[in-house]
Amino acid sequence: MSQTNDRENRDVARQRSHIYGLLATFYRQEVTSDFLRQIKAPQFLGVFSDLGLEMGQDLFQKSEESVLEEMSVEYARLLLGPGRHISPHESVHLPEEEGGTGQLWGKPAVKVKKFIEASGLEYKSEYSGLPDHISVELEFMQHLTLREAQAWEEDGRKGSEFYLNIEKTFMEEHLTRWIPIFCEKVMEETEMPFYKGMAALTKKFIEFEQEEMVDKSG
Amino acid sequence: MSENVNVGRRQVLKGAGALAIGAAAGLVPAGKAFAARGNAPRWGFIVDLRRCTGCRSCTVACKAEYDVPLGAFRTAVYEEVQGKFPNAEKQFLPRLCNHCEGNQEDKIPPCVKNCPEYPKDRRVFNTADGKKIRYRGGATYKRPDGLILYDNDLCVGCGKCIEACPYGARTFNKRLIAGKDASKNGIAKCSLCQHRVDQGVAPACVNICPPKARIFGDLNDPGSEVSKLVKEFGLENKRNETTLLPAENTVPMLYYIDPKGSLTKLASAKKKFMGNEAWVDQIS
Amino acid sequence: MRDITRRDIFKLGAVGAAVIATGKAFSSQALAGDIVEGGKDFSPKTGVERTMIPSSCWSCVTRDPMIGFVEDGRLVKLEGQPNSIRSRGKICAKGAAGINQLYDPDRILYPMKRVGKRGEGKWKRITWDEALTELTARLKKVRDDGHPEKFMFHYGRMKASSSKIVKAFLSAYGTGTVGNHTSICEGGKWTAQELTWGAHYDNWDFDNTKYVLNFGSGVLEAHTNHIPTSQRLVEAMVDRGVKMVTFDVRISNTAARSTEWVPIKPGTDGAVVLAMCREVMEAGLYDKAFFPFIKATDNPNASTDEKVAALKAHLAKYTPQWAEKISGVPAAKIKATALEFAQNKPACVISYRGAVAHYNGNDTERAVQMLGAITGNIDNPGGRCHGVGAKWKSPKGPKGPKAKKLKILDGFKGAAAYPTHHSNHQILKVIKDGKAGRPDIYMWYCYTPVYANGECQENIDILKDESLIPYTVAVNAYYDESTALADLILPNPSYLEWWDWEDMVSPTQVPEYYIRQPFVKPLGESRDFKDVVCDLSSRLGFPLGFNSAEEFVKKSCEMTPGIKAAGGFDFMKKQGVWHDPNAKPKFDMYKKKVKADALKKAGVIFDDATSTYWNWKKSGAKSEAEAKQKGYTKTKNAYKGYVGLKVGNDVFAGFKPDKVNKSGFFEFYSELLKIKNFPALPTYVPIPEHEKMGPNELVLTTYKVPVHIHARSANCKWLTEIYHDNPGMINTETAGRLGISDGDRIKVKSEVGEITTTANVTEAVVPGVIAISHHLGHWEYGRYASGKKAPMAGDDDPDLKLKWWDTYGVHPNWIIPNKLDPINGQQRWMDTVVTVKKA
Repeated sequence: MSQTNDRENRDVARQRSHIYGLLATFYRQEVTSDFLRQIKAPQFLGVFSDLGLEMGQDLFQKSEESVLEEMSVEYARLLLGPGRHISPHESVHLPEEEGGTGQLWGKPAVKVKKFIEASGLEYKSEYSGLPDHISVELEFMQHLTLREAQAWEEDGRKGSEFYLNIEKTFMEEHLTRWIPIFCEKVMEETEMPFYKGMAALTKKFIEFEQEEMVDKSG
Repeated sequence: MSENVNVGRRQVLKGAGALAIGAAAGLVPAGKAFAARGNAPRWGFIVDLRRCTGCRSCTVACKAEYDVPLGAFRTAVYEEVQGKFPNAEKQFLPRLCNHCEGNQEDKIPPCVKNCPEYPKDRRVFNTADGKKIRYRGGATYKRPDGLILYDNDLCVGCGKCIEACPYGARTFNKRLIAGKDASKNGIAKCSLCQHRVDQGVAPACVNICPPKARIFGDLNDPGSEVSKLVKEFGLENKRNETTLLPAENTVPMLYYIDPKGSLTKLASAKKKFMGNEAWVDQIS
Repeated sequence: MRDITRRDIFKLGAVGAAVIATGKAFSSQALAGDIVEGGKDFSPKTGVERTMIPSSCWSCVTRDPMIGFVEDGRLVKLEGQPNSIRSRGKICAKGAAGINQLYDPDRILYPMKRVGKRGEGKWKRITWDEALTELTARLKKVRDDGHPEKFMFHYGRMKASSSKIVKAFLSAYGTGTVGNHTSICEGGKWTAQELTWGAHYDNWDFDNTKYVLNFGSGVLEAHTNHIPTSQRLVEAMVDRGVKMVTFDVRISNTAARSTEWVPIKPGTDGAVVLAMCREVMEAGLYDKAFFPFIKATDNPNASTDEKVAALKAHLAKYTPQWAEKISGVPAAKIKATALEFAQNKPACVISYRGAVAHYNGNDTERAVQMLGAITGNIDNPGGRCHGVGAKWKSPKGPKGPKAKKLKILDGFKGAAAYPTHHSNHQILKVIKDGKAGRPDIYMWYCYTPVYANGECQENIDILKDESLIPYTVAVNAYYDESTALADLILPNPSYLEWWDWEDMVSPTQVPEYYIRQPFVKPLGESRDFKDVVCDLSSRLGFPLGFNSAEEFVKKSCEMTPGIKAAGGFDFMKKQGVWHDPNAKPKFDMYKKKVKADALKKAGVIFDDATSTYWNWKKSGAKSEAEAKQKGYTKTKNAYKGYVGLKVGNDVFAGFKPDKVNKSGFFEFYSELLKIKNFPALPTYVPIPEHEKMGPNELVLTTYKVPVHIHARSANCKWLTEIYHDNPGMINTETAGRLGISDGDRIKVKSEVGEITTTANVTEAVVPGVIAISHHLGHWEYGRYASGKKAPMAGDDDPDLKLKWWDTYGVHPNWIIPNKLDPINGQQRWMDTVVTVKKA
């Protein structure tokens, strides 16, 4: 491999890491005013509109306070409850032959937790969520791709392969098995352009990643 | 897995002194004592209809033990009101796989016989004293100790065992992919908690049953509770009254203590067995 | 949206980088550390070991000791605790399904605050700090304004250490406006017991009994001490040939398993019991030895002969023939059963909601007590005994101001004579009325005012009305019908994630001490409410002296002598249960002589009218003179100073009173009831509404099934799979008369509303009745209870996809009015008159 390719691969990995980080942020919590400011920034809007995603007029016409409130309410309605909501946990969605799914903290949650911990990362003691929350899975990919980028820089293909393999395995065993379906449910359920767009972007990006993975291993 | 269940339990009980040891001994059914003797045990299961209160602890304990998918039951209680007011009565009939011996001619239970994989699979049963008993089976097989077990790796998902069982004791497990045909489902059926029994721990439904209406043990051990009850109630000699659907000639090893003749009274229950309808445990 | 290409990655990545760069301020990541090659081993096949943890159940009030198995940090299974002397290693279906509660996909994991109108269903997540800051500010204001009573706390299930901790908080805060749920359970039974033999709770000694007579108890399927008693009762019947006769309106599982089921019309148990008492007395089969402890006339010094004569005279009109006309039970059956009961000693007469949740329930229970007493089957081996539970020692919270209380707990003024367990089903009506004041803050815990009481629609309307109750707080792990009407939801964990010490009654009369400990740490941000009140107390400036439930349990283990000697907290964590191996079962405690010293203590005086020694200093009397002048019966809280009962020349422990100024006698004759213009001796009073019934009207009666908790288990898929529909049971003959066939849709209408359900035409219920169970018909409580599944959940939720039923039942409480027993305030669940028509 040439150094140019390594550098490009490094850059791609770094960008992918940023995207995973962005997606994880979407799901981790309600939109804050800092985040809202960024969403409303031309750079963000430009990229989104280029992809065919509309953010809607409410963002600009309503006061920041009411926009944030509406977004929080929508976040709770979609992802938290109380009452009917789309659980953002793999265990509730993923089928498993031996059961332990369709519930919180099911067998898939254990698998996610073990996978992540086996990589050397650990859940922070202040993290109060469940181990298989969508934001954790995306964040894990963010970490992996960042390490991949470093590896391209330091060891080229040899070093990056280790991370690519982990990424691929985690993608195949977890993300691709439930996140696209989850996103479809969110897209169907919400009328708010931001969350519809967020779900669409997540789904498309996971699909893109899936294809890229096949290319890379091919 | 099962080993750990057992060990874990004892580890904690160890510290509790005499009281705990007594209780720990109570956790271990007769089978453990037998295993030391060498030959294969002959597991027997008795449902004492005098005791069953229709509480469904067994049904739920079984669901919990295996996380049995909704719609499938490895054990279920059937209930029916009979007679005319004010002399009406309600009968309870707990059901599980009869772990049949098979008819007198070939001694092969119908579910085993009808499995397309039978008798391709060669199996070995290790007795406690190190002897090996060789036998044959398919995706469904009868172990020399009497348990009728299921091996999904060999299953083609044809459902012939379900059709062959006159009791409705088997059903498709809609969450399980058949080992030999990914387009089909595997089977859900009672294993008598083989993973527990092999470690000397009673099946989950026996362990939980509050009124002790379910009794499990080794019929080869004359000291076991099942042997004593078989003797006391003549369960083996009066199969027509103590087992389900005697005319099917499947020779169940599941006996009912039934002094009030509930088995013969449960007419519509019988119909359900005959129709090969899988059990559903439902209180209506 | 179009597909993403490699080119987009750079643009999107830049946006992401910008968000991440400033994101530190608003977004905290979950993961820490570095990825290392090799890392830890993550093969799921290795190192899996199940850890066993002893704890206890909390599905129903029985609270069986349990053990659970934890694998990879997940609770995978619950079993009975083999070392428990109460449950002997057994749990029930509800207990085994506890995992469904813990991992319910619809659980509430974060504090939630209402947005928009109350009940509109709009919520946003807030932090615990925000939630408690808001709550503290409101609590502080109410308290600072001098009206701590305007903070109303209402619990459903709150026992043992949970009760101690939360009540320490409430008392330090200074509110006495604390509601419970007992009047919709069996509060009336308890009051009747307080009026006869003192402290409530009757344990039935099936281990030693020879005969069991049952009036309206589902002892084999749904009793308050279900697993411990049911297994012993079956043993008694099968192994010792004990006969059991059950009087019930339908074939419950208990009736099915009884030696005999005797169908009886609703609300007429009292007539049958009184006729039985009559037959026993007339046949001379009463137990003379017990009579010295009985009060049967207004004369405390009456001889046994005088008492017998008085009873016979009172009972003379209650002939079996008379009772047959009222109850439908053949006179011969009444007589034969009465004689059999009296001749098989020890025998046990048992009773529950079927007999007592009526207009006349108080005297039905008093009559049942009388039947037990005249046959000498009270507090004896094999009889009906006072319950014995563990007596833990535990830390006390700070002493608060004298509690103030809104007078809204006992129904409208004067509605019930002795509502010693309150009349909680009246509370919302009384709040609406407003004359007794209204709470500013209404907080409920393990309670669902909307669903659990009658008249659901009115409950909803009142709770929804912000002008009636300005602030509502629900403490719950699940989104039920009441939580939907909260302003603030504090997410509680399930009972499988919290600490307690426990003390439920032992069937052997030997107390068992046991604990509940978490199998896993609370999911999400759910927080044990006991820990929350510790926090709230500190925020309000009166720390409780312990910071968590765990610390409280730990300290209690060190303070309770037997537990401490056994090894304290560490022992209990490892073993879960303890009892004193040398303890003797508690029987015949009333016969214990009171030591002479106890009578000489300052303040102890003798009350002639009741033959009772009491210490006036512990009562509400201001002076000895006042105490003597008013006398024991009429001095406020005189019972608190009770010392003993004088019988002949001896002073006995007698039947110690609780909550009311009953004498030390076992009172058939109640001066307290006489004062309130009720008959002093147990008397049959027909149910007024039933007297006026038209030929086409039926009585609606409710019941429990073995696989459900009253209002809190329909979310458990393994239970709801077994029981998810509750058609109304109607006798074949009655249905025929009404032109209703099995499976027909029917309308059931009462004075307060109408429901549409299905008919279950059956031989298993008495004519003239429609019986509907009360677990189902939820319109919230998650996907399995209400069918309110998550959006498209069935498309991929692997278990929900396999759900094969689509009925959720119909809740009968919509049409049951919130009425009360005029003596004790009990909800009259079984009295409602309805019309039933084809829909």
